[in-house]
Amino acid sequence: MDWHRGQRMKEGMSNNSTTSISQARKAVEQLKMEACMDRVKVSQAAADLLAYCEAHVREDPLIIPVPASENPFREKKFFCTIL
Amino acid sequence: MCDQTFLVNVFGSCDKCFKQRALRPVFKKSQQLSYCSMCAEIMATDGLHENQTLASLKSEAESLKGKLEEERAKLHDVELHQVAERVEALGQFVMKTRRTLKGHGNKVLCMDWCKDKRRIVSSSQDGKVIVWDSFTTNKEHAVTMPCTWVMACAYAPSGCAIACGGLDNKCSVYPLTFDKNENMAAKKKSVAMHTNYLSACSFTNSDMQILTASGDGTCALWDVESGQLLQSFHGHGADVLCLDLAPSETGNTFVSGGCDKKAMVWDMRSGQCVQAFETHESDINSVRYYPSGDAFASGSDDATCRLYDLRADREVAIYSKESIIFGASSVDFSLSGRLLFAGYNDYTINVWDVLKGSRVSILFGHENRVSTLRVSPDGTAFCSGSWDHTLRVWA
Repeated sequence: MDWHRGQRMKEGMSNNSTTSISQARKAVEQLKMEACMDRVKVSQAAADLLAYCEAHVREDPLIIPVPASENPFREKKFFCTIL
Repeated sequence: MCDQTFLVNVFGSCDKCFKQRALRPVFKKSQQLSYCSMCAEIMATDGLHENQTLASLKSEAESLKGKLEEERAKLHDVELHQVAERVEALGQFVMKTRRTLKGHGNKVLCMDWCKDKRRIVSSSQDGKVIVWDSFTTNKEHAVTMPCTWVMACAYAPSGCAIACGGLDNKCSVYPLTFDKNENMAAKKKSVAMHTNYLSACSFTNSDMQILTASGDGTCALWDVESGQLLQSFHGHGADVLCLDLAPSETGNTFVSGGCDKKAMVWDMRSGQCVQAFETHESDINSVRYYPSGDAFASGSDDATCRLYDLRADREVAIYSKESIIFGASSVDFSLSGRLLFAGYNDYTINVWDVLKGSRVSILFGHENRVSTLRVSPDGTAFCSGSWDHTLRVWA
């Protein structure tokens, strides 16, 4: 996002030594926590994503279009208010 | 180090030295305590083993990262698009601009749908925030913010208020009123205060709490009524550009993306980062949860969109083409999660098949960068906002 880059902090600032020790400790703690996570195999995760899609695709109006009369954006109705 | 959001709304007795000071929360063995800044600094170096120095901590971090990658790789038994080979291909898409909302005087930066699937709020560089009826294209409300570059706006779940902010470093809530005698700006409530620009905001499940992301590198959760900071989220190494709340069924988490190329998933109650993903090669402009809440997509300045699965804890798909060289500014899923709509800085919108990883359609129409894109709550349409001053509703 270059249009507000003037206000951005530089990534390199985190290498300054003053608060580095507490930051480094936090990083190590965070990584230890993330390492303990229970993970699933990609095949299982992918199968679940597929299952969700298949279960809901019939209700997805952008894939299975509903009749034009039911989609307020597709129907050629003129919205007018009587003033 | 990132600027801190203002944490000093607690003043009392330090849990360590018992002196009356301004306190900040620290975590010691997963327990939250309140220390004054002196004791917090001392604690940072406390308990370090004799040969633990900055260098050794950094190398420990590197080796832990290596181990994490190994663990993740062990579970990488197949690619998503391979599993998706058995899924039927999608047919031809006919998606056109059905409405064009004209009225902003400058670049549209952000937009959001109301839960009524009809109203839209949008904000622009010139400081104007407009509420539209997307069926009729009429403007229902307009307010001028005291700042320019209103980069974030959101509709309250009740439909009775909107939140917005930008270069003023604040997030303000405006109740929507149809009373012609009431001046909308008069009822404005300042809720969030950051130390740098506001890049994104979102109401949680109610009108009472707002989640914000800022150029100061933090995200924060605020109580709307009192303006009090409820929780702050520190961890990004640079500006946070986007956030998205998990679908309500899946609990209290949200994902944020930033200029440090990281996407981070946070626990809203504890303020802890639970997962982090760093595979993008440039700023992450937009993140959006998959409708089931088990995955999220991101759009980045590196011209790719990626899908990350939370349970597999890794990136599972990349949506890119050699011909696409401009950054993706905003992404959103269709209702079933099968389609991913992404707006790009080359003025186009690409529609991706999430499962197969291929592009199904490319939509032209905008005359400048697409800056924001959201699918309507019932999935019948999606709206895109652009630097060409207009918003387009596609169906």
